[in-house]
Amino acid sequence: MSTEFTEWLRSRSDEQLRALAAVRPELVTPVPAHLEGLAGRASSPSAVGRVLDRLDRFTLSVVETLTVLPSPISYGSLRAQMARALPGAADPVFRSTLKETVERLRTLALVYGPDNALAPAPGVREVLDGPAGLGPPAVEVFRHYHAERLAELIEDIAGEGGDAKSDTRSDTKEALADLLGDQKIVGRLIEDVSPQARSALNELAWGPASGRVPNARREVRATTAQSPIEQLLSRALLGATGEETVVLPREVGLFLRDGRIHQDLSPVPPAMDGARRDRKLADRTAAGQAFTFTRAVEELCERWSADPPGVLRSGGLAVRDLKRIAALLDLPEWVAGLIIEVAHAAGLVAASGAVDGDWLPTPVYDAWRMKGTEDRWVMLAMTWLTMDRVPGVIGERDERDRLLNALHPDLRRSAAAEVRATTLGMLAAAEPGMAPTLDSVRERLAWEQPRRRGAHRDQLVEFTVREAEQIGVTGLGMLVGHGRALLPGLPGLPGGSRVGSPGELLAPLLPEPLDHVFLQADLTAVAPGPLTSELRRWLALSAEVESTGGATVYRFDERSIRRALDAGQGADEILALLERHSTTPVPQPLSYLVTDVARRHGRMRIGTASAYVRCDDSSLLDEVMADKRSMPLRLRRLAPTVIASKSSRPALIDSLRAMGYAPAAESLDGDVIITQIDVRRTEGPPLVRSSATFNGLEADVVAAAIRAVRAGDAAHQARRVPLDVPDGQVPRSPTTATISALRDAIRQGSQVWIGYLDSQGNATSRILEPARMEGGYLTAYDETRAAVHRFALHRITGIADIV
Amino acid sequence: MTDGPLIVQSDKTLLLEVDHEMAGECRKAIAPFAELERAPEHVHTYRITPLALWNARAAGHDAEQVVDALIAYSRYPVPHALLVDIAETMARYGRLRLEKHPVHGLALTSTDRAVLEEVLRSKKIQPLLGERLGADGVAVHPSERGNIKQYLLKLGWPAEDLAGYVDGEAHPIALTEDGWQLRTYQREAAEAFWHGGSGVVVLPCGAGKTIVGAAAMAQAQSTTLILVTNTVSAHQWRQELLKRTSLTEDEIGEYSGTKKEIRPVTIATYQVMTTRRQGAYRHLELFDARDWGLVIYDEVHLLPAPIFRMTADLQARRRVGLTATLVREDGREGDVFSLIGPKRYDAPWKEMENQGWIAPADCVEVRVTLTDEERLAYAMAEAEERYRFCATTPSKSRVTEALVRRHPDEQVLVIGQYIDQLDELGEHLNAPVIKGETKIKERERLFQAFRDKEIQVLVVSKVANFSIDLPEAAVAIQVSGTFGSRQEEAQRLGRVLRPKADGGGARFYSVVSRDTVDQDFAAHRQRFLAEQGYAYQIIDADDVLAGE
Repeated sequence: MSTEFTEWLRSRSDEQLRALAAVRPELVTPVPAHLEGLAGRASSPSAVGRVLDRLDRFTLSVVETLTVLPSPISYGSLRAQMARALPGAADPVFRSTLKETVERLRTLALVYGPDNALAPAPGVREVLDGPAGLGPPAVEVFRHYHAERLAELIEDIAGEGGDAKSDTRSDTKEALADLLGDQKIVGRLIEDVSPQARSALNELAWGPASGRVPNARREVRATTAQSPIEQLLSRALLGATGEETVVLPREVGLFLRDGRIHQDLSPVPPAMDGARRDRKLADRTAAGQAFTFTRAVEELCERWSADPPGVLRSGGLAVRDLKRIAALLDLPEWVAGLIIEVAHAAGLVAASGAVDGDWLPTPVYDAWRMKGTEDRWVMLAMTWLTMDRVPGVIGERDERDRLLNALHPDLRRSAAAEVRATTLGMLAAAEPGMAPTLDSVRERLAWEQPRRRGAHRDQLVEFTVREAEQIGVTGLGMLVGHGRALLPGLPGLPGGSRVGSPGELLAPLLPEPLDHVFLQADLTAVAPGPLTSELRRWLALSAEVESTGGATVYRFDERSIRRALDAGQGADEILALLERHSTTPVPQPLSYLVTDVARRHGRMRIGTASAYVRCDDSSLLDEVMADKRSMPLRLRRLAPTVIASKSSRPALIDSLRAMGYAPAAESLDGDVIITQIDVRRTEGPPLVRSSATFNGLEADVVAAAIRAVRAGDAAHQARRVPLDVPDGQVPRSPTTATISALRDAIRQGSQVWIGYLDSQGNATSRILEPARMEGGYLTAYDETRAAVHRFALHRITGIADIV
Repeated sequence: MTDGPLIVQSDKTLLLEVDHEMAGECRKAIAPFAELERAPEHVHTYRITPLALWNARAAGHDAEQVVDALIAYSRYPVPHALLVDIAETMARYGRLRLEKHPVHGLALTSTDRAVLEEVLRSKKIQPLLGERLGADGVAVHPSERGNIKQYLLKLGWPAEDLAGYVDGEAHPIALTEDGWQLRTYQREAAEAFWHGGSGVVVLPCGAGKTIVGAAAMAQAQSTTLILVTNTVSAHQWRQELLKRTSLTEDEIGEYSGTKKEIRPVTIATYQVMTTRRQGAYRHLELFDARDWGLVIYDEVHLLPAPIFRMTADLQARRRVGLTATLVREDGREGDVFSLIGPKRYDAPWKEMENQGWIAPADCVEVRVTLTDEERLAYAMAEAEERYRFCATTPSKSRVTEALVRRHPDEQVLVIGQYIDQLDELGEHLNAPVIKGETKIKERERLFQAFRDKEIQVLVVSKVANFSIDLPEAAVAIQVSGTFGSRQEEAQRLGRVLRPKADGGGARFYSVVSRDTVDQDFAAHRQRFLAEQGYAYQIIDADDVLAGE
């Protein structure tokens, strides 16, 4: 641990430390005891790695430059070095950007020191393995070489008439490094080797700095070297780092780069390119897509209500079921997968708990269905944005070659939500009216987050772009008003677009629900837009949907009319409804169809009876029916010689016997049982996972944390004697009063006197400077113990101001 | 939200609201790239298919025009994916071209090397090719010009055929417009074909396709081979050509089962061309008998498979296909596209009707309630006998006779499937019956008598379905016949759709037994006719009988 770094941190103002805690909240969660602790945490590899991941290419280049150059270095030298990496001359933009960047790096505590002695924070060098694509320094490259071999190399490098001092150094590695650091020597060595060897070096110059060759550890002398690789190895222009790997020492790399560390550096992000499109049209397209998507989710849930697919033993949805629903919804499989995943993540569908369960809509769906389209969409879009599941990989195979099914637990990717937000951020950064190409989005992302790259991430970006279009967050490839409003922290579009909630922005773009259809003689009804939900439900009952899209085409046929009649509608009622909702007269063939089906409907009646009484003598049955005692049996005379009963056969026999008759049981196989398809629901909402997006700490929490660190640090430094506890008992106070008093103390930064039951149950009293309160615990600097402690709130017996 | 007349559906159908004020211009804008599928009274359905898009490309439209038309007239935003798909599909046409080559005769060239490489890898394509001509071309055996176009279409890369045509043997042919004139759409159709080189002209039955053929011949001024469906049709072609053109009896030959004449203009039937003896087609030499400058295919949608194969070898000749519909029951629309050519002209039935070229038709379905005995007998009939039973019930005959009596002053055609039923009807109605066994001479005599109004009622079986011309039939009554195919129905309707001298409307009755399979077939018929835009109503037989 560098004490310089700690000292530097200590010298920062409270405000600057607060800024640090605000941008790197993990440093104060939990609150460290003192600044030494803070410095330690700030230079831990994981913390450094995390903050480096957030840097853009230019900022990262500054850090890399500082790690490559010897530390400390003056701001002027840094600027000179950075300026060499620019493709053109240093301009004012570069100057001001560099200044801001260094200041930002100081705020992030990645760089410390005054302008005349800048240095990368401890830990940064270790984390930045191979900065700017350079190999490790010679000292590291040749670390594993044995002394004799090193001596041979030095001898070959120094050459005839070489420096005599080379062998006087005790550490031969450093001697070698010194030699390689000498521009003249390296220049001469490179001139010595063959052109093939030189071109091999140039290949490695701009990284990656390592390559593979067979038998890398061969020990050859400059005089006997044959192949280009041997020539390089014998002159220490390459070092072997493994049996088959060689690496270009950093010193040689820098020489080859002509003293530059980066090339073609730009202080501003690359401009995106893409097609220009009409923004209004994009808004409308996205709104249309939002409507379609919402409707598809509803359609999915409706289908699954009546006919739910089973849950696979591995927890997903069978490929067969995915294909089936894709065909039913008339969508490509990947879109169907997206719809299913979003519906699931939004809690609209879930597995019905039991083993061999089904995927069923939840009560959340019933509530969702009642809302307006725009609210329904916002819920789906937010779910998509924050969920950690990646529908795009459905159908691919995992590393163990198992198929990834929809709704499979393994579909989660921790980076998913972050990539979605970042990608949409890139789209938002494009100039208004431009739909950036996927490549230019990728390029921009590579500039913004150079350390976060890889095939997986690229794939996620691609998924995001295509899914955003499908959901209606983007339209024609542009982030639209209501999509932009989903992302917190993004400003509204410059130039007129109203600011508002996503729902408010979307609502006016959605088509107005209609209450009429066109009825045609080919027995179709065309709804030229979305229908009011009442009419839609009625049509779904009495006609088959034939095609969907902007409009819906319904077809009436015998079966569908019968279905409506079964649901209790009369022919007159159906005709009246048709008449009311049609702008034109009802076509004759359609009304004929309705009356014709109704004519035949119900001519045959089917019911259920548990038992029957059959008797050729109808007067005997008259008698039974007239008997008052037969009332509870709920008998019904179907025909003069037949009575049906709701009671079971044994009960009927017993009752009739009790009434004095002598019935005999009859074997029967004519019982009719009508099964109905139940609309089913699963229990309770499912567990919805969305990866926590950390939006930083609140300002007062940060301030309190820094105060605590400062106080702790002061104690730590002064090796302060703990304060004496005041005499007497702390008066007991109610918990609510305790909590509000603590909250005040955190806000004001004041000290309080508390009574506390320690873990052994002893009553103690402390003087505290509270820092933060969360999850039932108070973090505070304990003046009486001179250390930061965590206190369980429920053990604080009372609180009082210090007199 | 614009207020356009068009709604784009996710299944690539387009719904056009016909009463919308912009409907007319919208129809004109989308007709080149979308096939009209259904045309009921309020909302017409068009479908965008790859073939339709390629037809549009062949007619010189580009993707931008298509996309612009959709965006301009669409009421709701058009899904971006659909637009991209359209652009991609259209871009596939013409990436590959068949061109003349000075050395090899024919070459397949491409502006897109990757596409060429892709198709060259196909096992079906490889044997058709000759040597490689540089990076962007490959020689094609001239005899495989048709085959390669077929395979390329199947691969989704339809080739543009720019290899041109042979002129053929010249022969003067002129239209003699005395007392009649080429209608505007007929002239447009013939010109569109001529400019395109080869292709299909789509016109409704009764719109005068024969005359379009004659006009095409007058354009070509060369010897012509005409392929028609059957002998009766061949005779009609002959008569029309004699009447409408400068051709004389000696210049027109008939090549059929009975005659084998080869003259400057030769009319051959599909049947004779597809006759095989000992497994070989006997009459292939007809194609080589003369240096034909033009080949006319009548009723392209019925073109049998062997003719396709023969046509594949005729790619250097100009070809024109005449049809009422591009829809083929066997799904070989692609072969029509690659072997005959793209669609060159198209006019919707309904509009022709509005212009008065074809008669408006009133379709009436008469539902006959079976008597109790008939119902019992129907319920007990074997499954395969059921249709025959319900289609030929005596109740039906009674209603049919009543319908005929309703139209005492009009030419009435009774159409049926079952001979004994037809014979019985003929007897009751005192009308002649034309069936399969009726001799050609006798048929023509009866048709002529019907035309001359010497006979008022004619009973015909299925044989009359194809390519006969009964100009004065004002009423058709269909008593039996399964709903076989859309074409059969179109043909049947075509019988009564000819414009009549008095300009009166035509009437098409179908008599149907209620609550039987007959009614199921009628449902198909109803849908088809309503989709074609005809007024359709259903009445009860009792009302017909009560009106007596």
